[in-house]
Amino acid sequence: MKRKIALILVLCLSLGVFMVGCGGSDSDVEDNSWIDIQDKGYFVVGLDDAFPPMGFRETGTNEIVGFDIDLAKEAAERLGVEVKFQPVVWESAIEELNGHKVDVIWNGLTITESRKKQFAFTAPYIEDKQLIVVQNGSQITNKADLEGKTVGIQAGSSAIEAVQKDAETYESIGEMVEFGGNDEALLDLAAGRLDAVVVDEVVGRYYMSKKPGEYDILTEHFGLEEFGVGLRLTDQAFLAELDKVLSEMKADGAAAEISNEWFGEDITK
Amino acid sequence: MDYLLLILPAMLKGTGITLKLFSLTLVLALPLGIILALARLTKFKPLNIFMQFYVWIFRGTPLLLQLLFVYFGLSFIGISLERFTAASLAFVLNYAAYLAEIYRAGIQSIDRGQYEAANVLGLTKIQTMTKIVLPQVFKRVLPPISNEVINLVKDTALVYVIGISELLRVAKTAAVADFTFTPFIVAAVFYLIMTGVVQQFFKWLEAKYDFYE
Repeated sequence: MKRKIALILVLCLSLGVFMVGCGGSDSDVEDNSWIDIQDKGYFVVGLDDAFPPMGFRETGTNEIVGFDIDLAKEAAERLGVEVKFQPVVWESAIEELNGHKVDVIWNGLTITESRKKQFAFTAPYIEDKQLIVVQNGSQITNKADLEGKTVGIQAGSSAIEAVQKDAETYESIGEMVEFGGNDEALLDLAAGRLDAVVVDEVVGRYYMSKKPGEYDILTEHFGLEEFGVGLRLTDQAFLAELDKVLSEMKADGAAAEISNEWFGEDITK
Repeated sequence: MDYLLLILPAMLKGTGITLKLFSLTLVLALPLGIILALARLTKFKPLNIFMQFYVWIFRGTPLLLQLLFVYFGLSFIGISLERFTAASLAFVLNYAAYLAEIYRAGIQSIDRGQYEAANVLGLTKIQTMTKIVLPQVFKRVLPPISNEVINLVKDTALVYVIGISELLRVAKTAAVADFTFTPFIVAAVFYLIMTGVVQQFFKWLEAKYDFYE
C-alpha cells in the first residue's frame, strides 16, 4: 500500500510539473511593459545571429552586426535605454518572448496574419520580396517552369506562406524541401540537388554577393511582404513607445541612412 | 589560412563554452550517478521505484527536449533559470541517469560471496561498500563510462537550442556570415582533438587500474 501511494504521489508530482509547463496564464494585469523597461534600463532583442544581413556575427570581431542591429541601437538611444542582443533559435522565438527571456524579436520578422496572433507587431519598417533563385544558366525562367521541380525553402519562414498563397504554382511544384537555413538551401541549389530556392530578397542578395556568378534571380516573385518588430501581445505600452521612435527615425531620415549603409538603397517603409 | 586565423578567436571562445559545460557536467554527474545507483539498489521500495521512474524520464526522452523543458518549461511556472544554468542542470540530470545505470551494473557484477566474506570479517555495510565493492566497480565501469564521456563532448552541441553559442553554433554563424563550409571543418577538428584527449585519458586510466586481473 505504502509503495502504491508513493508511486502515485511521484507520478502526480511529475505530471503536474509537465502540465503546468504547457499552461501559461493570461491574467488582466496592468500593462507595465514600458515602465519595466525604463526601470531596468534596457531591453533585450532576441535574434537569430545567423541571419545576414539583418543580424549576424562579423567575422574576426565576432560582434553581432547587421541592419536590424543598427536600427535597434538607434531606437534604443532615442528611447533613452540600453539595448542587449541575445542569440536565440528561430524555432523557439515565441517561447523566448513569452518566457520573458527576451523583450522583442527584431530579426527580419515578416508580418503575417498567422504571426499576428502570436506577436504584437510594430508598424512595418522594410518592404521586401520573396525571390525565386535558380542556378546561373538554369532552364527555369518563370513560375510556370517550376512544374514538377524541387524547390528549397527555409523551414518556418514566411516564404512558405508566400508560395502557398500562389495556389496554382504551389500545386504544380514537384517537391518542397525545408531547410534549417537559407544558406543550406542555397548550397543545395549550387550542388544541383534543388532546382530553385524561394528566399527573402535582402537575405538572398547577401548570399549571392558572396558567390558571384553562381545564382540567378527570376523576374517573377512570390509577392511583397513587410518586416516588423515582434513584441509580446501584452506589451502594448512598450509597443507604442517603440512605434513612436521608429516613425521618427523614418521621418528624419535616420532609417534611410542605415538602409543605404547595408543595402546601398533605401528600402525602408 | 588567413581566414582560419580570422575565425579562430571566435571558435576558441565557443570551445571554451563547450569545455565549461563538459567539465561542469562531469564533475557533478559522476558523483550524483553513484548516489542514484545506490538509491536504485536500496531495499527501501519507494526510493527504488522513484529511481526507476527518474531513469525512465531522463533516459526515455531526448536530451534536446529536456533542455527546452528546463529552460522554457520551468519559466512558465516561475522558475526562470539563466541559459547556462538551465543547460548544466539538464545535462547533469540526464547524464547522472545514464551513469547511475552503469554504476548499478558494476555494483551488481560484484560476487555475492564478497559481501558475505566482508560480513564474516566484521566489516560494516558502509565499509564493505567503500573498501571492497566500489574500488572494483570503478575498474569495471571505466569502459562504459568513457563511452558516455565521449558522447558528452558531442552532446554539448545541443545547447545552441537555448541560445548558447558553443563551438558548433559559432561555426554555424561563421559559415552563414561568410557562406563557406570551412568553419565546420575547423569545428570537426576541434571535436576530434577533444574526444581524442578523452580517449587517451581513459586508455591510460584503464592501464593504471589494470590490477587484480
